Amino acid sequence: MTTTRSVGILATRSVRTIRRLPSAFFPALAMPIFNMVVFAGTFFAVTKIPNFPTDRSINWYMPLGIMMGAAFGGVGLGFTTIRDIETGFYDRLRMSPTSRLSLIIGPLTGTLIRILMMTTLVIVIGIALGARFTGGVLGVLCLYASALGIATMGAGWGLGLAFKFKDMRGAAIMQLSIFLVMFLSSAQVPLDVMTGWLHTVARVNPATNILRLARVGLVNESNADYLSWNAVWGGLVAVVVMSALSLGFALRNLQKLSD
Amino acid sequence: MNNTSNTAPIVAENLSRHFGDVKAVDGINLTVNQGEIFGFLGPNGAGKSTVVRILTTLLGPTGGTARVAGFDVVKQADQVRRNIGVALQEAAIDPLMSGYELLELQAVLYGIAANKMKQRANELLERVGLTAAADRRVSTYSGGMRRRLDLALSLIHQPAVLFLDEPTTGLDPMSRLTLWEEVRRLNREGTTVMLTTQYLEEADQLADRIAIIDHGHIVREGKPSDLKRSVGDPTLLINVSREQNDQAKVVLAAFGDMRPTAEGTLGVGLKGGAERVAEVVRALDEAKILVEHLELNQPSLDDVFADATGYRLEGADSAPQVD
Repeated sequence: MTTTRSVGILATRSVRTIRRLPSAFFPALAMPIFNMVVFAGTFFAVTKIPNFPTDRSINWYMPLGIMMGAAFGGVGLGFTTIRDIETGFYDRLRMSPTSRLSLIIGPLTGTLIRILMMTTLVIVIGIALGARFTGGVLGVLCLYASALGIATMGAGWGLGLAFKFKDMRGAAIMQLSIFLVMFLSSAQVPLDVMTGWLHTVARVNPATNILRLARVGLVNESNADYLSWNAVWGGLVAVVVMSALSLGFALRNLQKLSD
Repeated sequence: MNNTSNTAPIVAENLSRHFGDVKAVDGINLTVNQGEIFGFLGPNGAGKSTVVRILTTLLGPTGGTARVAGFDVVKQADQVRRNIGVALQEAAIDPLMSGYELLELQAVLYGIAANKMKQRANELLERVGLTAAADRRVSTYSGGMRRRLDLALSLIHQPAVLFLDEPTTGLDPMSRLTLWEEVRRLNREGTTVMLTTQYLEEADQLADRIAIIDHGHIVREGKPSDLKRSVGDPTLLINVSREQNDQAKVVLAAFGDMRPTAEGTLGVGLKGGAERVAEVVRALDEAKILVEHLELNQPSLDDVFADATGYRLEGADSAPQVD
């Protein structure tokens, strides 16, 4: 009960800053929309590639915009935690007898609420710009699951780095690692059309499976990646395993803060 | 919450904290008794904040042991946290939150029941004089208001032991005075207080006992009056009429060594301290010497600090003075 209340109040604190400091939340909303619009507009010809999974570029890039927004939104928790560490506020949290897990799950919950808001907004704008969910409600749910999953991974990673470095040195690693993970995957084109080392890296990159999960409800019904257990299980496993690993990394480094 | 052990609220034995080759705290022994205000005095970098961070479970020791409220700070960190209140050096407060919201957050983190939370928060806001500002964002608070809120936050769960890490640094004299009074009131109510400060006057005014830490070692420990006495006898300054000056010197010489003073004033290092002032006055009276002015100057903690460390505490003289 105490842990649940702690999670709730820490999540509330996180969400409250949207209203108190909207200038900090605005870029987190604008960037995914910008990415979606720019990628879909610039690379519209990508759909001409033989056997491309969809004939609408917005269907391909809307999930990418959301995934990037969710990943960066997740590591953003690392940034705010660094600020809390530097101002001493995090000491106040650590000195309280609440469980260490709630110090992670509480702010994470707040972050996921922000990601839900961002995902919903991008989907609405994407649909207005021509995106179509061929997979219906299930497809929408897969997109949300992917967004929340990659945000959780990012948050765990960001928190772990924040606890490890305790200052802005961790911030550069957070950003760089998210860029690498996102772009060394099937972010721009399907795995089938990639070659050489990039194909090898993308194939083992868990982000590829998560992006595949995000897109299963947006590709053509005739495509192999269309909603099927075969198409989603890899993404679900990647979300669960990577989230568990990143949150474990965060918890371990939180416990080591007093070392 | 009450102390669950018969031991003293704070006990450190051979406590050390090394950062690589740097020995921030080097084998200190410390006991703070029930109901005491214990002053921990030292310059910046002496190790006092490191000791507080260890005792409040924020930092692990690299050697020795420490028990707070009867619990081991490493093995029973959760129980320690339930029994202590802490106001750290910089009032660590989220500027985007209001005073009331911060108290609410603190109450939940300490497991205070929802139905008691509002009452407790309002009591504390009133106690520290922030009721009117409760719903304002902390970013609009003055330094003194932040410190008072920080103190209120540290008291939300009625801790048995309170740690105050340089609570008045940067405050104006009036705010310092208010905070001192609140610390005294808390202590009268039974809270054991460990206070770190670099202000000699603050330690002198508030602390029942003090320890002076320098380069990670405790170099003096005891009651302020005992420590000052250990440095030497207090100086009794007396003004008499010019005609009776020589006669007064003879009388005063029986009570200690004469000391250099400003012209027109006689000074004697009074052996036995304040208790002998009445005796001196009686002796002067019996010799028919009319005393115009009498003043007893005790050795200061600055003298104690200098005696213990070989140097004077930087800025000790420039700390804001409070009468």
